[in-house]
Formats: sequence, structure tokens, C-alpha cells
Amino acid sequence: MLSSGSARSLAAVLAVGVALAWWLTSPQRIDVGGLPDHEADPVAGERMFWAGGCASCHASPVNGKRAKGDNKLLLGGGEELDTDYGVFRVPNISTHAEDGIGEWTLLEFVNAMQRGVSPDGRHYYPSFPYTSYARMPVEDVMDLKAFLDTLPPVEGRVAAHSLGFPWSLRRGVGVWKRRYLDTDPVMRAAEPTTLAGRGRLLVEGAGHCGECHTPRDRFGGLRRERWLAGAPNPEGKGRVPNITPGGKTISQWSAADIAYYLESGFTPEFDTVGGSMVAVQENMARLSDEDRQAIVAYLKALPALE
Amino acid sequence: MSYMKSRSLIVAVALAFTSPLFAGDDPVHERHELMEGVGDAAKPVGQMLKGERDFDAGVVMNSFETFHEASAEFGGLFPPGSETGEGTEAAPAIWEDRAGFDEALATWADAVDAAIAANPQTLEETKPVAGEVFKACKNCHDTYRIEDE
Repeated sequence: MLSSGSARSLAAVLAVGVALAWWLTSPQRIDVGGLPDHEADPVAGERMFWAGGCASCHASPVNGKRAKGDNKLLLGGGEELDTDYGVFRVPNISTHAEDGIGEWTLLEFVNAMQRGVSPDGRHYYPSFPYTSYARMPVEDVMDLKAFLDTLPPVEGRVAAHSLGFPWSLRRGVGVWKRRYLDTDPVMRAAEPTTLAGRGRLLVEGAGHCGECHTPRDRFGGLRRERWLAGAPNPEGKGRVPNITPGGKTISQWSAADIAYYLESGFTPEFDTVGGSMVAVQENMARLSDEDRQAIVAYLKALPALE
Repeated sequence: MSYMKSRSLIVAVALAFTSPLFAGDDPVHERHELMEGVGDAAKPVGQMLKGERDFDAGVVMNSFETFHEASAEFGGLFPPGSETGEGTEAAPAIWEDRAGFDEALATWADAVDAAIAANPQTLEETKPVAGEVFKACKNCHDTYRIEDE
């Protein structure tokens, strides 16, 4: 039996513990004052749409296959990502009012993209790569919303994720974010005014290349000291290649080779792009020559990791 | 016949029967070799499109002819029973959706024939017809080839 005094102390410790856990896991949001005075431009937003690869996950599959052509603009979701943590189901982000995100405010959209927080204040799992999108200039995110607003509504709500314990505890993502959600650039040396710096915004931000090309630690956070140096394939066998100048294959490629690969899907040996990179390359093909050259300049400026 | 000579002959005959090059018996190897040849032929054309190599209409036409010969043969190299082996990159979809595969091959063959008919004499004339050929390569690979490691 505890004395009433020690019971009170225990209750106090528990209360502090719960409050601390609550605080640690609480969603951090940008408030309305954090949005710059910027007139969102849907044309600029389309560039972000392709750079960001939104369609690669959110376009509804057609007859069980990846959407192609104009079907990439039908963002009903439904794709499933089968991972070690469980099955993530990609949501509907079309303009449909009930099933999609048609009713979202600009601020809600920015918070989803850059803080991983839903309009009702829940954490998103980092399968949605907001850890990369957090590095985008906020104006670009605003432009993207303006472009998404021009796309057709698609009916149908996607079922919830099926994750194993403890991953199913969504609130826990808050702790993870405190450790891994970082808006600072990885390659600080690449100044935004240079070609490589513009490439940095595309690669580290919208393009979210690091999400597959950088290995993760045991908590699923990216290992920055191995930035873009290759990683196990999250979708099964093989590896996602090292794309630093130290990479076995890419070190043999000229700047023109990499740019041509992103544009056409052909390697210097005239083999074609394969696997998950097919969809990425098709998106990169929609960017301008200058954007592709910026990406290449950034990749060429990376430290060569073995 | 000396012992050494007859021994080499036996080895040669044995090799001929077991070698993947032995006619008709190893479609996995044959289609691999055929595609390697197509890749080799595509390379100089691609380098011209990239501006890494001087334009040469004769080289372009040679490559188109190589594609043409390959496109006539390629579809016959996927008989039932050749789904696996020798690290093949052929996707199961080829056998599951044979009609779709044949259509993808026909698209490629048509693009090649159109390129030959166009008989391009400049880089500018080559770009659109070669582009269609390469697009057909890529489209077929996307569905009917699995990724190598």
C-alpha cells in the first residue's frame, strides 16, 4: 500500500510523463502568418506536379496497371505500397469535395505537404514524402495547389493503411518527426543562385530523390552521411543505385548522358530505364532542359561516395 | 587422326550440341543476343541525337536495317517453356498476355519500317522517326521486361 503522499508523487510523475509524451507527439503546424504574400500560379504549379512525382503514387491504376498519359491527372489514389511496416494505401488527392482534397484550404495543403499534418490534426506517415517536400520553397507548394485545383474530381475513398504494431500508433510519428523532419538543405554548399543550387531544390525538395536513393537507419530516417549513395530496394529485391559521382554506373556517365537518360529513358548503352524509375523518368521528361541540367549539375557536385 | 586432334574434334562436337549458340535450341540465349545487337545498333543513333557523334545517314540506315531484321525474328524466340533460365529479363507478362506482347512488337516493327521508308538524310529528319522507334522500345520494356539488378 502506498502512503497518500507517495501516491500523489506517483500520480504527479505519471501526469508529467503523459504531458511530455503528448507534447513530444503533438503535430507542429505552420500558422496562417507563415504563408508569404504570393499569387499562386497553376502553370508554375504544373512544373512542381511533375517534379514532385505526385501522379506516380496518387494516379489511380488503370486495370491494375500504372496510369499513363492523361490518366496521370486522375488522382483518385488506390495504389498500395507493401512495405516492412505494413501496407500503405495511397489516398485520393483529386478535387473531389468528399473523397479527395477539394475542400482543403491553402494552409491545410501546405501543412500536409511540409509538416505532414492533416487538416484534422493527425500525423501523416512518412510514406508520403513530406520530409522532402518540407524543403520546397513554400511558394512552389502554393503554386502546386493552384495546379491541382485545375484537375478533375475523382470519386472513391481509399481504405486506411494496414500497419503492424507499433507502427499503427499514428501519434508516435510525432516523435519520429522531431528527429527526422528537417527543412534544412542537405547540400548546403549548392547556393540557390547557381545551376547546382536550382538542382538542389528539385532533387532534395519536390523530386524527393533521397527517399529511395539514400539508405535509412533502423528507425526509417534517412542517413544523411550516405546521401544519395544507394539503398536497398524498398519494393523487394536488388538495390536502388548510388547516384553520387562515386556510383559504379553513374560515374561512367557524362552530364549529357544523365540529362538524356532523364529526358528519354535511355542509358548510354541504350538500355532503357527499369523498375520504379520508369515513372520517375517519365515525370522528369516533362521538365524543361534547363531543369534537367540543373538536376545533373547538382548530382555532379555531390561528394563521391563509394 | 592423332589423339589430340580427335579429342579436339570430340570437344568441338560436344560444344556445338551443348553451346547456347547451337541453332534453335536456346531461345533465351538467342533473344538475349539479338537484343544486345539491337542495343549496339541503337547506340550510334542515340549518340547522334545527343550531339555526341557526327551525323552519318549510312550508319543510321544500317541501324534501322538491324532493327528490321531483329523485329522479324524476335517474336518467335519466346516459345512456351522458355519463361526462365540464364538470367532472362523476359517478364511473365509475355506469356500471360501474348496478344499484348505481339502488339507491342508490331508497334516497334511498324516504327522501324516507317523509319526505313523515310530514309532520313539529316539529323533533323532522323529525330522524329528514330524517336518513334525508341519510344516503342521503351514501351515494350516497361511491361514485358523485368528489371535486371
